[in-house]
Amino acid sequence: MSRTVVSVEAVEKVVPTAAGSLVILDGIDLEIKQGETVAIVGASGSGKTTLLGILAGLDEASAGRVMLVDEEISSLDEEARAKVRGQHVGFVFQSFQLLGSLTALENVMLPVELRGDTLAQSQAAQLLAKVGLADRVEHYPRQLSGGEQQRVAIARAFASAPTVLFADEPTGNLDTQTGELICDLLFDLNREFGTTLIMVTHDSRLAQRCSRTIAIAAGQIQA
Amino acid sequence: MSLSLILRLAWRDIRSGEMGLMLVALLVAVGTVTSISLFVDRLQTALVQESSNFLAADRQISSGEVIPQAFTLAAQERGLDVAQTLVFPSMVFAGETNQLVSVKAVDQGYPLRGKLIVGDVPFARGVPTNEVPEPGTVWLDSRLFPAMGVQAGDVIEVGLAELKVARVLVAEPDRGGSFFDLGPRLMMNLVDVPATEVVQPGSRLSYRLLLAGAEENLEGLKEQLNLTPSYKWVSIRESSPRIGRALDRAESFLLLGGLLGVLLAGVAVGLSAHRYAQRHFDHVGVLKTLGATPKQILYGFLSLLLLVGGIAIILGLAAGGLLHIIIVEALANLISVELPSPTARPFLLGTTTGLICATAFAMPAFIHLKDITPMRVIRRDLGQSPASRWVSYGAGAAGSLVLLVWYTNDLLLTFWTLAGIVGVCLVFGVLANVLLRSGRVVGMQAKSGWRLALAGLQRRRSENTAQILIFGLAIMLLLVLVLIRTALISEWRSQIPENAANHFVMNIAADEVDGVRGLVEKRATQGDFLYPMIRGRVTGVNDIAAKQWQDSLQREPGGSRLTSERNLTWVVDAPESNAIVEGQWWVEGALEPEVSLEADYARSWGLSLGDQLQFDIGGQQVEAKITSIRTLEWESMSPNFFIIFSPGALQDFPATYMTSFFLQRSDKRFLNELLTAYPTITVIEIDALIAQIQEIVAQVSQAVELVLGLVLISGCLVLVASIQASRDSRMSEHGLIRALGGSRKLIGSSLAAEFLLLGTFAGIVAVVGAELTVGVLQSQVFNLSASLHPWIWLLGPVAGALIIATVGLLGSRSLVDTPPMLVLRGLN
Repeated sequence: MSRTVVSVEAVEKVVPTAAGSLVILDGIDLEIKQGETVAIVGASGSGKTTLLGILAGLDEASAGRVMLVDEEISSLDEEARAKVRGQHVGFVFQSFQLLGSLTALENVMLPVELRGDTLAQSQAAQLLAKVGLADRVEHYPRQLSGGEQQRVAIARAFASAPTVLFADEPTGNLDTQTGELICDLLFDLNREFGTTLIMVTHDSRLAQRCSRTIAIAAGQIQA
Repeated sequence: MSLSLILRLAWRDIRSGEMGLMLVALLVAVGTVTSISLFVDRLQTALVQESSNFLAADRQISSGEVIPQAFTLAAQERGLDVAQTLVFPSMVFAGETNQLVSVKAVDQGYPLRGKLIVGDVPFARGVPTNEVPEPGTVWLDSRLFPAMGVQAGDVIEVGLAELKVARVLVAEPDRGGSFFDLGPRLMMNLVDVPATEVVQPGSRLSYRLLLAGAEENLEGLKEQLNLTPSYKWVSIRESSPRIGRALDRAESFLLLGGLLGVLLAGVAVGLSAHRYAQRHFDHVGVLKTLGATPKQILYGFLSLLLLVGGIAIILGLAAGGLLHIIIVEALANLISVELPSPTARPFLLGTTTGLICATAFAMPAFIHLKDITPMRVIRRDLGQSPASRWVSYGAGAAGSLVLLVWYTNDLLLTFWTLAGIVGVCLVFGVLANVLLRSGRVVGMQAKSGWRLALAGLQRRRSENTAQILIFGLAIMLLLVLVLIRTALISEWRSQIPENAANHFVMNIAADEVDGVRGLVEKRATQGDFLYPMIRGRVTGVNDIAAKQWQDSLQREPGGSRLTSERNLTWVVDAPESNAIVEGQWWVEGALEPEVSLEADYARSWGLSLGDQLQFDIGGQQVEAKITSIRTLEWESMSPNFFIIFSPGALQDFPATYMTSFFLQRSDKRFLNELLTAYPTITVIEIDALIAQIQEIVAQVSQAVELVLGLVLISGCLVLVASIQASRDSRMSEHGLIRALGGSRKLIGSSLAAEFLLLGTFAGIVAVVGAELTVGVLQSQVFNLSASLHPWIWLLGPVAGALIIATVGLLGSRSLVDTPPMLVLRGLN
């Protein structure tokens, strides 16, 4: 039986607004096993992105317990959460989020470098070759198309061999055809690395390729 | 983060221009401070040296008694140069004629500063010399030649000694020191003094030990000797208050200039650091999602700041040094003083300024980067908490305070400058916000450039309020500097107006008055009216003997005496340069004898209104009541008297008269004519002194102009930094308008209108702030009279609008030229 890599109990997220408290997440319970591919779907404003942020340790829950790869991140401060992210988590974002001042290769090297690993360059070059960008390693993000930038982002996400990969609308900024290619790449690498994939998406075809779909509405998981 | 990663990020940021503005701002801060202080330091040293010429030394010890040998030995032990002089009045004889002269006996080292000017023909220009009269010879003032009918080579008698007339003494550096060092000069060698046998107990003697050398050695000697009141320690500020005050004000001004330069550069550093940090929010968000801890972020960005700061400091020091050399070269023709070598202090000052600017103005923005939430990669609207912004402002203010106090070492100047700035920020911050809030319109109003600009100004109200304040502050600081400079220079110049009397005539007998006046009116420009001069001494106060009165004050022995003989005068109206501070000036025709005293004189002898003073004038007793106390303008070039009588009191005493006139240097021969016609009168020439003061004023004025120029550069940098800071939000807005069909012309005219309006508002803020600050600075720091400056009321807003529109449009060209697609994709 595979182990649980993400588990959430009674998680709430409440933010103060001028009109009073706004409940974004309302009593979320969730468990995700190693190797699962999970799509979190829901309408705009349903709270799916907030849930992703809390699962990945980017944001703090107002109440409840969040476990990420055997660490109770809901009780950790930002300093400790960052270390957990660095060790176990990879990200792919809708807006790519590459550092404009670094080349494709340097962007991919970044997570490994942040850990202090010295073999970063060769690993990064191999990953870029895997995503089909062997000849673009020295290019800067502004010299790459949207699809190419997202491929660099995927290479970067796998550079640290993460246990869990979080993706926020990974094809949201791409045309259908490029989106398909990126999707294939993401699932292929996921299989190869044995990573758990948790993604927020509006794209029903993308959601269908996942082993499980979690639907959120008004801050609650729908049955 | 590893060092190699930091270096790589820094290099990339510098190369891509992200760090560029901050680097340049820091560089300008360091460069401005270094070059200003290098120049000011060297010029100040040069000016002090120049003004030391008035003492013929850096310091003097003066006394009516012989200066002990121990003083000289102590000075020499400290490596100081020493020289001695002795001044005394004496009658000299040449055949049948005799003349009262002021003898100055000097030793081989005299003068330690400045030069003696000598010639071979009376009333001609002389040449500088390093020599002093050889033993057995004397040098005479030009006017003594016709007065005594002597020529070079003749022998004259000084006391019992017979000395040969060798040369004409044209000028001596320390001649201007004492106004009543009367009579034409005879200079002789100190070794000849004993042979004259004129120096007897009770003679009026003025011994001086001249000292020159390093400042710390001079101050050390002063402390070591711990002089009794019999020996007076004289520095340039005490001996020549005119020059002392000019130097003090110049120093304050140059410090103020430097201070404002640093402040402006600090603001530029803060603005550019803030922009850099803001543009790196996403960057930090990504790094955090990839596992960078807040500590790593902090360490990484601070190392980056240190690296960039280090580069800026090194480049700034080099640029400052280079700029200073260029300035010195460019001004070489104007600055007649030889500049001494620079010290390490300006470089130290530049480095510390760079570090403080980086720490106080840039570091807060960098520190807050660690607090950026990683959620920002998903939700871009999450930025910096408002609280941390206040921490930045607080750190900037604290940094400014440290810089100001440390740089000026003058709490009063710092306080009033800061009070002006804070006051203006508060009042105008509110006002600008209200102005921008009024008439809030809906939508972008993208129909015309003007309406688009107005709508933009209102939408970005808080940013624009801040920008008006920053623009306003920069313009205000420049205006403050321009106004203070103008006031200072005109004040200095007005102290010695063109054609101010530069010659005084004394000892004019009553029957010579008309003749002298006639000659002077014909050949020169008449100065002051004629003052009668009568010698007399105070013998009693309220029927108590003056000696007893003086003793009751328990003053330390050796100082001046109440019973000393003084020059008395009587006049009908109070002289122009005198101000009555107590009592009333006499009315014409009053019968009772009245007397008016100078305020310091009255205070030091414990005399007040209503006291009766008894005088001995030529053996006769005169009594007069003190009816007024006056202050004098010692800086005015007119005769000043401690004691003035009402007309009735002294009218019957025999008096000599004094007057003054202005004479061009080319008309100097007139003195010969005057002295030949009236051989017994005494002429005191102060034209050389006036020329020297004017020279100093000219040099200080140049330094002031230079500081102004450098601060102007800092001011422009602040404008550029501020415009850059608002560029990003304008960029995205205008990119969107262009994408929706707005023309480049619309964007261009909207930007122009926006900057014109911002500039006009800033100009108004600047004018009011400048008037307030200058008013306070003039009255509190520079001791000048405060006044309004109507000409800046139009100039401020117009110049503000034009400068900001020009700099703004130049800095925003890319806003108009960048294709909208690039803007919207965020790849600009």
